[in-house]
Amino acid sequence: MLKYKFDWAVVLSGKYFDWLVSGVKVTIQLSAVSIALAFLLGLIIAVMRMSRVRPVRWFAHGYLEFFRNTPLLVQIFFWYFGSYKVLPEAANDWLVSTNFEFASAVIALTIYTSAFIAEDIRSGVLSIPKEQMEAARSSGFSYIRSMRYIILPQAVRITVPPLISQFLNLVKNSSLAMTIGVAELTYQARQVESYTFKGFEAFTAATAVYLAMSILITIVVTWYSKTILSPMKAR
Amino acid sequence: MIRFEGVHKFFGKLHVLNNVNLHVKKGEVVVVCGPSGSGKSTLIRTINQLEPINEGKLIVDGMDLSDPKVNINKLRAEVGFVFQQFNLYPHLTALKNITLAPIKIRGATKREAEEQAVALLTRVGLAEKKDAHPSQLSGGQQQRVAIARALAMKPKIMLFDEPTSALDPEMIGEVLDVMKDLAQSGMTMMVVTHEMGFAREVSHRVCFIDFGTILEEAEPAEFFKNPKHERLKQFLKQVLSPMH
Ligand SMILES: Nc1ncnc2c1ncn2[C@@H]1O[C@H](COP(=O)(O)OP(=O)(O)O)[C@@H](O)[C@H]1O
Ligand SMILES: [Mg+2]
Repeated sequence: MLKYKFDWAVVLSGKYFDWLVSGVKVTIQLSAVSIALAFLLGLIIAVMRMSRVRPVRWFAHGYLEFFRNTPLLVQIFFWYFGSYKVLPEAANDWLVSTNFEFASAVIALTIYTSAFIAEDIRSGVLSIPKEQMEAARSSGFSYIRSMRYIILPQAVRITVPPLISQFLNLVKNSSLAMTIGVAELTYQARQVESYTFKGFEAFTAATAVYLAMSILITIVVTWYSKTILSPMKAR
Repeated sequence: MIRFEGVHKFFGKLHVLNNVNLHVKKGEVVVVCGPSGSGKSTLIRTINQLEPINEGKLIVDGMDLSDPKVNINKLRAEVGFVFQQFNLYPHLTALKNITLAPIKIRGATKREAEEQAVALLTRVGLAEKKDAHPSQLSGGQQQRVAIARALAMKPKIMLFDEPTSALDPEMIGEVLDVMKDLAQSGMTMMVVTHEMGFAREVSHRVCFIDFGTILEEAEPAEFFKNPKHERLKQFLKQVLSPMH
């Protein structure tokens, strides 16, 4: 017989429920901001990685290797414990005036994820026939504007499945932000556990929320790419 | 409008264009033909610098392409290019394929650009297809949209690289009709094609290129009646034979 007494009411109502809800909100904020920034930065790094200007290409290559091959937790600690020692005074003042934990987590998640997204987008770009670039250049578009208006929109459409998995990874990785005191979902579940000893219930609830968010992201991005981004059938 | 003076082009060791001299005046329609691999595509692609030249002088619309200061994007905006494989943008509708460059490069408003695009689609007989994606169009229709896309920039020169070679025979006519119409409107055109009917009917001059050299250049009547080079005689026999 199981001795443990389940008590779902503890985590589904009252004060502890409010804690979990506030954790969900922070996780959503953290993930949403980081996904948007990581996507933009990923596009930029992908284009830099393919630049014909060698130093630009090398910088992007170094960026990719560095941030993909070091642990995210170390990167989070770096931005949180390390960065303020080298940043100028003004930047520090601003960071402290905002929410330094949150900002550090956003920076770490954004940069880390952008490196993966950049590689996915780059392989998307490489699969677009070179004639598309020729057609764009022939109309008078510069290289960068050809990328922006003709190549990247096509590449992103092809890249939707790997992008979804990067977004989901980001949501899951956002739980590491608890280590620097960001009061996101995992942090709050841990709090609830230490006040109530109802660890099973608290973390089951957290798990359910992460799962729901993943499913939601998959559905929304798939729907968006199928309907809003107009269909691009095989030629 | 276009002037080649002693132009050479190499792909590594391969001498693709060998001392090309050619002058296309404003309003002229010049057809280029020659065997496969003779350098026709390379020749026409040098004009908008999809292929840079290695030696000689190439002047297009008053701009010297060997001058490193020349604004290549500005030049390309004045030169329409139509590809063998159409190369429409597959993620955009026919209308948006046509309006993209006028809006982003010429600074046209969306409304102006769309009005113009509809007019152009009407001109090429595809007004009802404006919301179709390229994948929903036949080859002939795609090529007509591609011509409309090039015309939307109001180019001074139109270049065609085998515009009908990728088409099923029954669709060649509809594209040639659009091109004939364009030629008669006074557009300066250079057309790589083996459609000798088109050359005979609307071109001012026909050039025969072989191994990267223009072997023969004449008015169409003369070109077809009195070919001088042996290579051209053979070539004409091949492309004009009913078996072909
Ligand atoms: N980008 C390239 N690199 C190397 N060789 C090329 C390239 N493009 C064309 N060639 C070669 O140059 C020659 C002329 O090609 P092309 O101008 O396409 O001929 P055509 O259009 O008359 O068939 C061919 O031998 C072709 O293989
Ligand atoms: Mg060719």
